[in-house]
Amino acid sequence: MPAAITTHSLTKRYGDLTALDSFDLEVAQGSIFGLLGPNGAGKTTLIRVLTTLMRQTSGEAFVDGLDTRSSGREIRRLIGVVPQENSLDRYLTARENLELHARLHGMEPRQYRKRIDELLELMGLASRQKDFPDTYSGGMQRRLVVTRALLHEPRVLFLDEPTTGLDPQSRRAVWDYIKSIGGSMTIFLTTHYLEEAEQLCDRIAIMDHGKLIALGSTQELKDRLAGGTFYLIEFGGDAERYGAVLRDMACVRGIEVHGNSVCVGLESWECLSEVITALNGAPVRRIALREQTLEDVFLSLTGEKVRE
Amino acid sequence: MFKGAFAIWRRDMLVLRRSILSEMVAVVAYPLTIYLAFGIGMKGYIGLVDGVPYSLFIAPGLITMTAINAAYSESTWSLWFHRKVQFTIESYRVTPISVSEIVIAKILSGFSHGLVKGLAVGLVIFAITPFRFSPVHLLAYLAFLIPGSALFSCAGVICGTVLDKPETIGRVEAIFIMPLIFMSGLFFPLSSYPANVVPWIRALPTTALFEGARHALVSGVFSMNSALQVAFTAVLAFGLSVWIFRLKTSE
Repeated sequence: MPAAITTHSLTKRYGDLTALDSFDLEVAQGSIFGLLGPNGAGKTTLIRVLTTLMRQTSGEAFVDGLDTRSSGREIRRLIGVVPQENSLDRYLTARENLELHARLHGMEPRQYRKRIDELLELMGLASRQKDFPDTYSGGMQRRLVVTRALLHEPRVLFLDEPTTGLDPQSRRAVWDYIKSIGGSMTIFLTTHYLEEAEQLCDRIAIMDHGKLIALGSTQELKDRLAGGTFYLIEFGGDAERYGAVLRDMACVRGIEVHGNSVCVGLESWECLSEVITALNGAPVRRIALREQTLEDVFLSLTGEKVRE
Repeated sequence: MFKGAFAIWRRDMLVLRRSILSEMVAVVAYPLTIYLAFGIGMKGYIGLVDGVPYSLFIAPGLITMTAINAAYSESTWSLWFHRKVQFTIESYRVTPISVSEIVIAKILSGFSHGLVKGLAVGLVIFAITPFRFSPVHLLAYLAFLIPGSALFSCAGVICGTVLDKPETIGRVEAIFIMPLIFMSGLFFPLSSYPANVVPWIRALPTTALFEGARHALVSGVFSMNSALQVAFTAVLAFGLSVWIFRLKTSE
């Protein structure tokens, strides 16, 4: 499948600060791609370069095969952008906001009126289309921004933290909509909510300090971290002793002892029978599979220190 | 090419139309107070100025001042608000319009505000005072009012682009814009200045604007030099505002 977004050695510097450091990326057409990273990792800078709001210092970036340095206008015709801030015009009604966006995209009235009606209906905003965005709830405002980004039927949709600040119901509604349009266009999403990336994205990239540090599907990333599977084994006592027994086994990748429990990382689930054999006669009370989360992967790659 | 600029200008005019009544009250009140205080209150103390009654002397300047103030304020605050508060400039910039179109739209909007509000003040002064002029003079006057409003609209775009804090915008208005207007012979003739200062004051585009506009409206005398000076400065300011906006947005 041809790439919707490609970057080669993409670098952006602000004085001494390198926000993007030789960043290489390829996003397949029609996929939902998630970009994760702590604050200041370079996510927004990457989106700003890809949406032609900012010029890179060096390297190349292509959207739908078009160079961001020389084909800005053509790229902007193809993309929809949901920025971090709502950026709605509070002096225009919801419908007027959409009409202005359509005119900026050069759409004809007969073309955009129908499309606005359809989208407002779809997003559940039709009955409030004559109201000003200030009177909307946070979830409705976000839905209106998403509607605006979809109005001109973009080929690539950039969503920069689309559900930040939304309540769980509104977040679910946005997720459902993103899932429903997945496949019809390429979706490039940045988020702080790892559950969001896990729910929505086909592939996920994790970046930090302007560099790509991991790339793959959710499962691939989890597998890479764990090197297999984690089990929590609870003993009646003497957990330290049984932990030492397990530590010497070839298929065990890691051991952590907490009180009466041992968290054991195995190369694969097939090793579990060997572990059970080795623990023959031990006072095992409970064995539970401990699923690795994307958060575990994220924290292991980017560290637990709070970023400014 | 100007479809985007027209769309943004249309948006600004829609917003103006919605708030026109409340805006007009505020816009008319200030110059009218000045006119009543100086033009009527002081006329017993001040005789003829440059051969015309004082109330007649200041009337064209007040209309011009309203227009350029409105053009400047609209461009500055609108651009600042859309850039720093509403982030709408960002939403315009991810559509297939050029940065120049955004600047042109904002200049046009400031200019339109200036023209509408200047004419409104003119009508009120015309209605409630004995100030009269020939309709033919109006054409010559517009030759000053239009580039003058455009010039201050461009100045507003530059300030709204460069200044990030609202209090700085207020300071610029107090330190540069108002002195430029008041020093240019709005309330007194240039002959009041010491002789060696007059050439410097005459070099100001605002002097060409206020002097030229007054002569055009009151006596129908059209100064081509003054009109060209205002028009040339407006073109220069337009180029500068586009360049500065492009530079700022590329940061």
